Amino acid sequence: MVSDSIPNASIPVASSNPKDFAKKKRANRSAKLKQCKLDARREQWLSQVKNKGSKDEMNVGGNQAPATNVANERGRLIEKLEIKPRAEEDNEVNIDSSNHYSDSDSNSNSPISHTSSIMEGNDSAANFAGSSSSSISSCSGTGGCCSGSLSEEDEQGDDDDCLDDWEAVADALAATDQKLEQHHPGLDSPREKGENVHLSSQTNVSNGVTGIDTTKQKSEHRGLASRPPVSCKAWRPDDAFRPQILPNLSKQYSFPMNSERHCHGGALWGCKRLSVPTSCPICCEDLDLTDTSFHPCTCGFILCLFCHKRILEEDGRCPGCRKQYNHGSVESEATVDGGSMKFRLARSCSMISRS
Amino acid sequence: MVDLARVQKELQECNRDVGVSGISVTLKGDSLTHLIGTIPGPLGTPYEGGSFKIDITLTDGYPFEPPKMRFATKVWHPNISSQSGAICLDILKDQWSPALTLKTALLSIQALLSAPEPDDPQDAVVAQQYLRDHQTFVGTARYWTETFAKTLGTEEKIQKLVEMGFPEAQVRSTLEATGWDENMALEKLCSG
Repeated sequence: MVSDSIPNASIPVASSNPKDFAKKKRANRSAKLKQCKLDARREQWLSQVKNKGSKDEMNVGGNQAPATNVANERGRLIEKLEIKPRAEEDNEVNIDSSNHYSDSDSNSNSPISHTSSIMEGNDSAANFAGSSSSSISSCSGTGGCCSGSLSEEDEQGDDDDCLDDWEAVADALAATDQKLEQHHPGLDSPREKGENVHLSSQTNVSNGVTGIDTTKQKSEHRGLASRPPVSCKAWRPDDAFRPQILPNLSKQYSFPMNSERHCHGGALWGCKRLSVPTSCPICCEDLDLTDTSFHPCTCGFILCLFCHKRILEEDGRCPGCRKQYNHGSVESEATVDGGSMKFRLARSCSMISRS
Repeated sequence: MVDLARVQKELQECNRDVGVSGISVTLKGDSLTHLIGTIPGPLGTPYEGGSFKIDITLTDGYPFEPPKMRFATKVWHPNISSQSGAICLDILKDQWSPALTLKTALLSIQALLSAPEPDDPQDAVVAQQYLRDHQTFVGTARYWTETFAKTLGTEEKIQKLVEMGFPEAQVRSTLEATGWDENMALEKLCSG
């Protein structure tokens, strides 16, 4: 019984005194708990830094957090790849860079519009047959260069790889969103208004159509930004996409203390947990300050970091609402890391092939 | 390892309001991993008046894994095996959440008793009967409740067995040995 509950095997079995034994066991367990909490705290901190970093356009101390590093690196990479002529790259790099292009392309729309960009991909592929020649030749500078490569990329853009990558690095890319939008305001114009480009004069392409398109983009942007799976934020009460079944939290909004995080006491835990529980509902251990300020899920279910870690190791669903814990937690960080590995590889490959 | 602190707390809390809920959890032996839950049959159902025992085994992963629950009392219900007592209930499988407790799980089983789901049966025969011949189903369920789920007082149990022709002293000792389980005592008396 007792030996079962000892986490570390390092305790000598010879300790005959049961009191000693129990004491050591407790000490050991609390040490482990502490370590675990430290780990989780670090993760929490990292995810905060990541979010903050992407909001501040990643100018905040690049070397401090790996997450920001990733974003920075990708930013540089995208810039680099945009300038690079495609012909120089070998096959392998082409595949990777096509992902980049698709990323940067949908980026200029919105960080979320991946599906739409793929769907447009079909249209634009057809449109491009007519428009690409004119747009490449007519548009000068970076815009032209980019749209030229876009045509090829869009045909490849239907790859599943692209989809996975996009979702994984969506957070990191959010930072480059605005920058890219500034750089290539007319990026989409030849694709969407292919026929217009074909018929109209060069000045139209650079002025009129671009104007129309950016407004169109923006409205698209807004519509898509409220889509559930990617936005990862609590529903706003006035959100059109908000499912009817969700309980109305407006009462809880009125509490001044929760206005920021939206996660104080969801429906299930409503009345009882308006005051933060003193012990973890899962393991019944007392919650410390770190635990009580830890809000892993928007439903407001609070649990200790120890149990949270354990759940993440298993199915990763919130005990309160059974929804998947997502983003800003360990899982998404891992995939972002994986993504950056890949991009780093692609970059070094291209350098080798160039030299 | 089972989270013993949590199990202990659950036992305390559950047994604190037995008077209200009628649901109790007791230890089966010395171990905190083998428990017996007891739920009263819901009023207005064929199970009314019965007291159903549920065998609970906690796995090492509890509360991150669901407790294993099985009816120890025979019960006639579409979602409970009439042979093994196995329960078909989502929260005891994939819909388990660590935020649930033994008490809430037992409450859910009690709710299952009053609201059978014949479309997702555990016992096909019972489910068929439930759908096609509801009158017979109710009769059988009530009969099983009367037969297996009615707890008699100790004196009533002794009386019943003595009426069968066993000497009272032997009946008393056998019942005590079997934890006042009249069916087990009867078997023992018959075999011994």
